[in-house]
Amino acid sequence: MAEAGIALIKIAVVLGFVLNLAALLTWAERKQSAVIQDRIGANRASVFGLRLFGLFHIAADALKMLTKEDHVPQTAEKFIHGAAPFISFFFALMGFAVIPFGDVLRVGGREIPLRILDLNIGILFIFAAIALEIYGSVLAGWSSGSHYATLGGMRGSVQMFSYEIAWGVSLLGIFMVYDSLDLNRVVLRQGDLLWGVLPKWGIVTQPLGFLLFLAAGMAITKRVPFDLPEGESEIIGYFVEYSGMKFGLFFLTDFVLTILISALLATLFFGGYQLPYLEPDGFRFPWGATWSLDHYTVVFLQFVALVLKIVFFCWLLLAVRWTYPRFRYDQLMDLGWKVLFPLAVANVILTGLVLTLIE
Amino acid sequence: MAEKVHCTIDGRTVEPRRGQTILQVADELGIYIPRYCYHPGLSIAGNCRICLVSVEKAPKPQIACYTQVQEGMTVWTHNEAAQKARRGVLEFLLVNHPLDCPVCDQAGECWLQDYYMQFGLYTSRLREDKIKKAKAKVLGPAVILDAERCILCTRCVRFCNEIAGTHELEVFQMGAHEELGTYPGVELKNPYSGCVVDICPVGALTDRDFRFKARVWYLSEQKSVCPGCATGCNIRVHFNQKRTHHALGKRVMRLKPRYNPHVNDWWMCDEGRYGYRWIDEGRLLVPQKRRDGTYVDLDWDQALSDVASGLRAVMDKHGPSSVAVLPSPQQTNEALYLVRRLFAEHLGVRHVDFWIPPATQGYHDDFLIKADKNPNSAGARLLGLFPRDGSPAAEEFLLNHGPLKALYVFRHDLLGRYGEEALRPLLGNLELLVYQGTNRNATSRRADYVLPSAAYMEEHGTFVNFKGRVQRLFQCLEPLAQSLPDWKILVRLAVLLGLELGHSGQEEIFLDMAREIPALDGLDYAALGDQGVESDFSGIPLWPKTVNRQRSNVSREQPAHLPRVTNDE
Amino acid sequence: MAYYNVSRPSEKLTWRERIYLPELFKGLRITTRHFVVNLALHAVRLLGIKTRRRGAVTFQYPEERRPLSPRLRTRHRLTKREDGMPRCVACMMCETVCPADCIYIVAGELPDPNVEKYPVRFDIDLGVCVFCGFCVEACPEDAIRMDTGILEIASDSREEMIYSIDRLLSG
Ligand code: SF4
Ligand code: SF4
Ligand code: SF4
Ligand code: SF4
Ligand code: FES
Repeated sequence: MAEAGIALIKIAVVLGFVLNLAALLTWAERKQSAVIQDRIGANRASVFGLRLFGLFHIAADALKMLTKEDHVPQTAEKFIHGAAPFISFFFALMGFAVIPFGDVLRVGGREIPLRILDLNIGILFIFAAIALEIYGSVLAGWSSGSHYATLGGMRGSVQMFSYEIAWGVSLLGIFMVYDSLDLNRVVLRQGDLLWGVLPKWGIVTQPLGFLLFLAAGMAITKRVPFDLPEGESEIIGYFVEYSGMKFGLFFLTDFVLTILISALLATLFFGGYQLPYLEPDGFRFPWGATWSLDHYTVVFLQFVALVLKIVFFCWLLLAVRWTYPRFRYDQLMDLGWKVLFPLAVANVILTGLVLTLIE
Repeated sequence: MAEKVHCTIDGRTVEPRRGQTILQVADELGIYIPRYCYHPGLSIAGNCRICLVSVEKAPKPQIACYTQVQEGMTVWTHNEAAQKARRGVLEFLLVNHPLDCPVCDQAGECWLQDYYMQFGLYTSRLREDKIKKAKAKVLGPAVILDAERCILCTRCVRFCNEIAGTHELEVFQMGAHEELGTYPGVELKNPYSGCVVDICPVGALTDRDFRFKARVWYLSEQKSVCPGCATGCNIRVHFNQKRTHHALGKRVMRLKPRYNPHVNDWWMCDEGRYGYRWIDEGRLLVPQKRRDGTYVDLDWDQALSDVASGLRAVMDKHGPSSVAVLPSPQQTNEALYLVRRLFAEHLGVRHVDFWIPPATQGYHDDFLIKADKNPNSAGARLLGLFPRDGSPAAEEFLLNHGPLKALYVFRHDLLGRYGEEALRPLLGNLELLVYQGTNRNATSRRADYVLPSAAYMEEHGTFVNFKGRVQRLFQCLEPLAQSLPDWKILVRLAVLLGLELGHSGQEEIFLDMAREIPALDGLDYAALGDQGVESDFSGIPLWPKTVNRQRSNVSREQPAHLPRVTNDE
Repeated sequence: MAYYNVSRPSEKLTWRERIYLPELFKGLRITTRHFVVNLALHAVRLLGIKTRRRGAVTFQYPEERRPLSPRLRTRHRLTKREDGMPRCVACMMCETVCPADCIYIVAGELPDPNVEKYPVRFDIDLGVCVFCGFCVEACPEDAIRMDTGILEIASDSREEMIYSIDRLLSG
């Protein structure tokens, strides 16, 4: 019973965090792009004259989407058309189940692992979730009964399947180095120090893997420069026949995926919840200084560290979106198959060689 | 063969006939020399001087429209001297010309504009005030004059003198104050007055009917034949599909004569010219059926099956002699032919007559206008759509109360012609009155079924004029609303009455008809061309050539109550 | 046929550019610099400190308006004669030249023989107009101008976007 309660609390925490962050990202995207482009950005929504840098636009947008006409084309497969955004959204959220946001919390003699699902094949779970997420967009495209949408769905599925391969292979290096598929184990092992100073984060051991993962991850979130499935205003994508909150869900799914990729980047390459030199009982600096902290502070600090890392990557992904132009489709395929995939394979071979040499 | 002379025009050696003018020869060669006052249908005035050309050994440029070719003459139509001379003439013509193009109806088809763009293109050197003359002066029912725009070419004057023979117009005053006008107390009011607008090369004489209706560059053009009388003047229909708001949705904007040396030369009468309004006004739009004094709309399938079953019921009950069909000489041969196939031959209807004599004899003269105000009486005769074997003429079986139970009327306004009173016995007796026509009239308001048919501009087809000239109509417009060409209605009706005609276009019908009717032998639409073909049907038995398909009850003699058909008018 | 040699910078990418990664970082550096600098400027100005530069070039539109260039094409108007009649003589040059086919003119006759023609109806469907200004160029009477300075042309229905002669005459 208590187990279930704890699980529910954890789910609530993670969901609350992800959804709020996703909503915030809608605002952040508008504001960040504005600042990058020397503009001010959305700032009109106000409550009693209070504008709060346009933060109310989040609520205004949600309100708008909810009250908009939910238009379903006559030619659509009604049920699937309705279900598709939920499929997308659901599977995107599912990925967070295995992201560790701390090691264990000890309260009253009970050891609570700080992740929703303690799975020793965590990363495969995420792969599975994201692979299923693709169905959302493909089904949306097909069920809309519109050629544009169908083509968008096709483009989307081809893109995502292609990049998922490079994506997966780019991670193999990480698992070879840390010798586990369990994300928490990977994070814990990143706490080790290299030569006594450098935290053994993934970015250090797998710099190439990081870049590949980042690129492929962006392609999977279907955001600029990889937004061909959506191509909102020009080539028209799989959700062209959606309106209202169903469209809103697709929109949100993108941000949830952004957060998921950020969380994975943080977890796999930037030590997850690890803070450099923070041990379970406090800081221990390589030059010998120590600063002991109690268990709760450590867990809290670790959680904050993870959140900050995720937020940073979200920022980075948004910055990337507002920096590069979109690829052409052949360029996209070239990049996936002829650059990322071979490099990922090379990375695996290189890692293997180095590991063998070290041993 | 007239005597030939040898001369050179623009370096080309030609052998024109003696007496031809340089301009005529150049036209034959395809060399265009500008002209204002010259009109091939009028006498030569040679007063506008725009046609100046260089003639070698002549001291100064000569006017091409009046100078006759001489043996050994060498002419340059477009050398520098000629061009310069013409540019000078144009500048003179425009000295007092107002800058009216924005409000001038001629703009777009104005020869001043054309020539200015072709070889004028000078900057005005005029400093003085322009001379003012009469503007927007109404000359007659059809024509309005802007004397400032007139270039005094006297085409219009010559038209009234030579063609219309009515002498209304003259140029008055002298020098720069010369001004066109009518003689005091005279209106430009002759049956052909609209033609002066056609021949006026500039915007001085414009059409009151067309005034400000649309700009000419919005108009589309198609060839047709005037349905106003038996002459069948060749016309161009100008209609507006690009800016329908200009005349509140009316499509036909004006009619213009189309040159045909065998029929009307360059001319047409005012009655025909302005008799197009019914195309867009008072049309029947949907098939209708009368029920309890009001009309309800039907769709075509319903209407035709109702009519067919009505006809059938009457025929079954009272026999074919209780049915009468009145085809109209306003219909095309194609429609009339199907009337014949369906009613006279297939159903065996004996009361078929196209001729409803008009209440009064129509105006006619010895030029174009004929008393018979129908374009295709000859065609209907050719097709034998008149009483045969001693059966009574239409007027007789309508008024003398034959045992008619069903009456199928095409276009004729019987009630308008004979009045309600005279027809009361007939109407009381009728079980079915079908009206198939283009416009609402007193008869359509009494019919049990109203079938809207397309007007002549809305279908392809042929008319036969009083001389027996078979002329093509080209489709200008889509049939209005739900109306259908007569032939389509008849083909569909025939199917319902058990006759599979199988025609899918007017030309097919025409070919069938040409195969049967000796006067049309060997003709097809391509052979008719734009100007038609004179069919020689005097002396030939009108009907029939072959008997393979025909019933025997077709007459070979001319109906006595019709004007005699001749070829030599 | 005449032709021109257009000299373009070499389309060959350097080795560095082809690696792509450095260029990506270069781009990211630019956007990040803008982001950081502008954010800092915003923050400083929020605290009330005056800076020479602003963090954004934005005009806060309904409150702040940019001065319009006199040549800017804004909503049409029809000019008038001294007696208040439209200068337009319904010559339909503008209707003819209009690439969007959004001018509807119906001409009428005026008793004054020096004017003769005037527009009974003159509608511009601003919902369709592309603001090319051809109508102004084509007008021989200087009867139509696009100098009202009115940019806000919006309405709740298509019908309201059709400006009739009265609205166009009243400036
Ligand atoms: S007559 Fe010709 S040139 Fe003169 S105002 Fe009319 S259109 Fe213009
Ligand atoms: S009114 Fe026309 S046709 Fe008559 S003289 Fe003048 S320009 Fe010639
Ligand atoms: S601005 Fe251009 S599109 Fe608009 S009314 Fe004028 S001509 Fe037509
Ligand atoms: S071009 Fe000028 S004068 Fe002509 S219709 Fe248009 S606004 Fe009126
Ligand atoms: S055409 Fe020859 S003088 Fe007028």
